[in-house]
Amino acid sequence: MKLGAFIPELLRHLFKKPATVDYPFQKLEVPKDFRGSPYLRPELCIVCRACERDCPAEAIEITAVNEAEKRFRMVIHNDRCIHCAQCVDSCPTEAMLMDTRFEISDYDRHNLKMEWEYVRAVVKPRSEAKTS
Amino acid sequence: MKFQIPIGPQHPALKEPISLRMTVEGEVIRDADIRLGYNHRGLEKLAEQKTWIQNIYLTERICGICSHSHTTCYVQGVEKLMELEPPKRGLYIRTLVAELERIHSHLLWLGVAGHEAGFDSFFMYTWRDREIVMDILEIITGNRVHYGINTIGGVRRDLDEQQVKRILDSLDILRQRSEYYKHLGTNEPSFVARLAGVGYLSREDAIALCAVGPTLRASGVAMDVRKDDPYAVYDEVPFEVCTADTCDVLGRTVVRIKELFQCYNIIEFLLKNLPAGPVAVRAPRRAKPNEVVSRYEAPRGENIHYIKSNGTDKPERLKVRAPTLGNYAATIQMLKNGFIADVPLIFAAIDPCICCAERAVSLVDARTGQEKIISLNSLKSLSLKLSAGNKRKREAEWPL
Amino acid sequence: MATVKTLIYLVIYPGLLFLFLYSTFVEWYDRKLYARLQNRMGPTHTGRFGLLQPIADFFKLMAKEDIVPERADKKMFSALPAFGLAIVFTAMLLLPLWNYSLDKPSVTSFSGDLIVVLYLLSLPTFIFFLAGWSSTNLFSTIGAARVLTMLFGYEVPLFLAVLSPAVLANSWRLAEIAAFYRQRPALALVNLLGFVIALICVQAKLERTPFDIPHAETEIVGGTFTEYSGKKLAIFRLMMDAEMVVAAGLLATVFLGGFPGGPLFGLLNFIVKTLFVIFFLSLIRATTSRIRVDQVVSFAWKYLAPLAIVQLLIVILVKGLLS
Repeated sequence: MKLGAFIPELLRHLFKKPATVDYPFQKLEVPKDFRGSPYLRPELCIVCRACERDCPAEAIEITAVNEAEKRFRMVIHNDRCIHCAQCVDSCPTEAMLMDTRFEISDYDRHNLKMEWEYVRAVVKPRSEAKTS
Repeated sequence: MKFQIPIGPQHPALKEPISLRMTVEGEVIRDADIRLGYNHRGLEKLAEQKTWIQNIYLTERICGICSHSHTTCYVQGVEKLMELEPPKRGLYIRTLVAELERIHSHLLWLGVAGHEAGFDSFFMYTWRDREIVMDILEIITGNRVHYGINTIGGVRRDLDEQQVKRILDSLDILRQRSEYYKHLGTNEPSFVARLAGVGYLSREDAIALCAVGPTLRASGVAMDVRKDDPYAVYDEVPFEVCTADTCDVLGRTVVRIKELFQCYNIIEFLLKNLPAGPVAVRAPRRAKPNEVVSRYEAPRGENIHYIKSNGTDKPERLKVRAPTLGNYAATIQMLKNGFIADVPLIFAAIDPCICCAERAVSLVDARTGQEKIISLNSLKSLSLKLSAGNKRKREAEWPL
Repeated sequence: MATVKTLIYLVIYPGLLFLFLYSTFVEWYDRKLYARLQNRMGPTHTGRFGLLQPIADFFKLMAKEDIVPERADKKMFSALPAFGLAIVFTAMLLLPLWNYSLDKPSVTSFSGDLIVVLYLLSLPTFIFFLAGWSSTNLFSTIGAARVLTMLFGYEVPLFLAVLSPAVLANSWRLAEIAAFYRQRPALALVNLLGFVIALICVQAKLERTPFDIPHAETEIVGGTFTEYSGKKLAIFRLMMDAEMVVAAGLLATVFLGGFPGGPLFGLLNFIVKTLFVIFFLSLIRATTSRIRVDQVVSFAWKYLAPLAIVQLLIVILVKGLLS
């Protein structure tokens, strides 16, 4: 037991720079592999629907716009997305990727929707996805 | 004069809703009662509607602080059901994240204990140093809280040399800081005066009331799933089970600080002996009908998942026993004959994660206030009757 | 001329306006210091260096909804904040700032004003007790009981510690005590022990960590102030800040030789000396954790009171040696 055991440590920090960051004015760096929001590279999508099937939050929606022209529409509901990047792991052609944005909040949840309309790509899938 | 004070469901000491009803005489607690069910999320039912893969992320969200514990526990169970053998490197990384999580959880707990005792400087300093672990976790998994590193059959991300070096460098700082907190936590007179002798739980009571984790170990029982029933690579890693004999909140603090040092040693060992090879194997989509119980030593204590499969790509039943639930019975014992001033400390000392443990709801008649117990079948028919007119899930408009 | 001087004394300096502004500044100083000791930033954005943050907080609270509980003693509940503020502001007027002359006693400086200030500083504690008691909330009631329990602990050591310099100076008048120690600064060192005791007791009186037991948020929510909101809470908070200024001013007068040098230089003296005292109060707040109410009483009677008596004995011995 020592009276005032904490005082030296406290006084040592009195004139040091604070450990906290003045956040909204001073931005923080995120690591390069940070899991931000998912996005689609439509030129690679073969519409296998693996992402739609594996998404735990049911945030990915793929609908056929025109079956004959092979036109499809993909909507990512970022308001439901839990940023787990399972879609990236499930995708056999690396059409799904994650960006590093994290300040995505909005006043209206519909603004968070991301949409792509594209023709189905003809790409040979990897022999094996990273996980099933 | 006896009167009842309600602590919770809304109270500044509680970060999550739970109700502690304390019968007090002056400042002394004579009786305590814990009521649960304010934060029930219907998680086990939800798990039955999701595939094995989707459920990893669901179990991850059982708890924010021990998110890796729940996924590992679940994934281990599913791997047993699917008869998968994850590669060594995958298991090493899984264990590494588990130990990093234990560090972050224990540092967080130290801060919370400081805050509950009104020692806010301690709280600020421990949480500042916890950022080091959080940053490491963010670098190696891509997120600070929900790491999402587990997958069925291994882990999702590999480690590179740079990351290994970064972690080893940070360990030195963490060791030094933990040494300082150990010194401070056992030397600052006003802090020790609040912790020592508070919330006494004897060895016999701890065993009889099925306490788990640091609460149990602080009562002198050396019980740790990592040692008693090794999972992942704990049978290869040298470490000690930390105990204390004081049976009070000070003992629980000491156990957690000692465990921090064990964590640093384990991480050092894991990184220096990291085998080469793949990190995951391919998993099938379905599991044969079977059932399995998976155990895991979470930072808070023993975590149990019971999983039953029926041959489809979804589990038939997932039962989660979070460590906090195991400690509630002991908490009541600890609270008795204590002071009101010690309630937050005693309750915080089990490191409660209330919404992890919310597996129960109580049925209360709104008119009479009477509680009743009914069988699962009658509950099912009751809910079917009530929801008869509701739309099915896919047809329901979203957002609701 | 005398009327104008009195009016200035009452309303501007060191009365209402100065005390209001200075107590908000002191709150900023305390918060900033506390934050920097904890390696944080503290208030940053309202005004330069966040200097206007306490004033902004005050006006924000003033604009908030004011709720009086159904079962509370409504008149008492509403009147208490105003009473408390008035008492603390009155105590401030008695500190020897500039409106006094050493030879001639006046309304603001007379023989025995030390006792009056001490009693005026005791009254806020009773205001807190009544505030908690009249709220009829369970948490407030426990808080109120704790306020009184603590009072029995720290009041006697505080009085003993503050009175011993007065015994040495052979006067019960604040201005004379200050003048005595200004003439013989070496004798102020005799009271070092008393100063430490008085600092701890003032910390308890101001209900700051480790003695923030009556409104320990993790135990009994807001304690005595659980039911207070809006204007009334704003006034209570201002009152606690003002009480900190007055208590620091009292310690500075008794132990550190007061504030000589007329209006301007005296003001500077006042600011430097009170901030010096408040620095220690903040340091104690940052260094310790909250203790239990029974521990306060036993600590006060086991250590503080005997030490205060030792201080008194030292003073009596020194006085004997001097004469």
